[in-house]
Amino acid sequence: MNAAAIGLPRRVGGVVASLDELLGRPVSLRSLVVLRVLAGPAVLLHLQPFLSASLDGRIYSDAFYEPYAAWYPELPEALYVGLLWLAAVAAVAMSIGVLTRVATATVFGIVAYNLFLSTTHFHNNRAYLVVVLGLLAVAPLGRATGPAWPLWLLRFECAAVYGASGLSKLLDPDWFGGTVTWQRVVRARADLEGWVLPDWAVSLLTDRTFHTGAAKLIVLTELFIALGLWWRRTRYAAVWVAVVFHLTIEASAAVQVFSYLAICVLVVWAVPSTRDRVLRLDPASARHRRLGAAVRALDWLARFRVEPAPPGSALEVVDRDGTRVRGGPAVAFALSRLPLTAWFTLPVLLLPAVRRAR
Amino acid sequence: MGRRVVVLAVVLLQVGFVARAYWSDHKEFGFQMFPESSTWRADVVRVTADGRRVPVEQPWFGYRWDELVRDRGLRYPAFRHHADAGLDNQIAFLDAALDWVAGNTPRDRETRYLEATVTRWHNADRPRVEVLRSRMREGAG
Repeated sequence: MNAAAIGLPRRVGGVVASLDELLGRPVSLRSLVVLRVLAGPAVLLHLQPFLSASLDGRIYSDAFYEPYAAWYPELPEALYVGLLWLAAVAAVAMSIGVLTRVATATVFGIVAYNLFLSTTHFHNNRAYLVVVLGLLAVAPLGRATGPAWPLWLLRFECAAVYGASGLSKLLDPDWFGGTVTWQRVVRARADLEGWVLPDWAVSLLTDRTFHTGAAKLIVLTELFIALGLWWRRTRYAAVWVAVVFHLTIEASAAVQVFSYLAICVLVVWAVPSTRDRVLRLDPASARHRRLGAAVRALDWLARFRVEPAPPGSALEVVDRDGTRVRGGPAVAFALSRLPLTAWFTLPVLLLPAVRRAR
Repeated sequence: MGRRVVVLAVVLLQVGFVARAYWSDHKEFGFQMFPESSTWRADVVRVTADGRRVPVEQPWFGYRWDELVRDRGLRYPAFRHHADAGLDNQIAFLDAALDWVAGNTPRDRETRYLEATVTRWHNADRPRVEVLRSRMREGAG
């Protein structure tokens, strides 16, 4: 046996050990708690058409449906409707933090059961919701920290959604060449003309050549999000682009809960540690106090410790690596790390004055 | 060990679903969004025991197509529609809907089977026509 043959199993063993350490490493599960809170409204939105139909005395089996398997259990109507309402109640409990593990598992179980009742129930947004709920149900969210593997799996699923979508378009010559988007827009021309768009914009959007480039931009955007989320240097850009991407889709297509859910899931890309940045404020300054109140209210991912600074001090943020930022750039930096304000303030960090301050 | 197995299983399953979406009709968990600009329309008729071909737009024995088949863009098949999740997906649903209606209209004593003449436009390709039939109904006529 040569040296290479002996070394290979050691290297494989080393990779497996590293992977195991990565998956088992205790991390903050704060982002998953935030996601669990935000997932409740997504579940309610998802259930709304089913509940609405049930109030009118209709359920899925009153019209065409197609079971995935003959053995899949179908419940009597009253029990089925009762389960849907139980899921709605459990979704509220999941969001507000009452019996969260039981509530999350209940929501996951019922939403998944309902999805698999019929092929006609299947939509990508519902599949994504089931995946997210399943991973939230198995994550030990009752503790401040837990093993990292549920977080890694959610990150993988998040990236997989963009990657699978982008790859399928990349491999389809009609998509990548612009035929698909061009035809969709041309068929919606009447709707476009009904908007407030100027004539030149309508002409541009219905121009075949425009779509040759636009389709590639869409495909590359999806692939950029799928890959860019994995690296720290590109992560903020990928998150920012993803939000724009979803808002654009929401404005132009009916995708049920997909936009909301996909934007919420982006929180799992936050570094899983808490209170590792410091925001120093002068308690005597009204402006500082307002910022402190805003940060305390909006810091859902627990990024900052807010500490008092000596009177007359400039507002200061100390980053994880010890970098200190003061004044206006510190405000921009702090707001760029809060989920609700990040999208608006991340571009500000690119301004030369702010870059110099870091 | 346990977490390694769970993570590996989820990753492999997801990759498997993504690959399967390239040939399956319904592409479950394959996340192929807005896959085509394809459109379709269909003339759906009931073929009776005496050979008549009656459009399903006409109610029969108290049944209405638009009440029996409400979902997945199948409610008004005679109108040209976008195939939201791709043509294969749409045609598979229509095929299943024909069978479901054939099997869930017990008051109908005359229909032998339902038939859909489907015109499908795959993206910018030339239209293709195909005929779908439900299973034969027992006891008609």
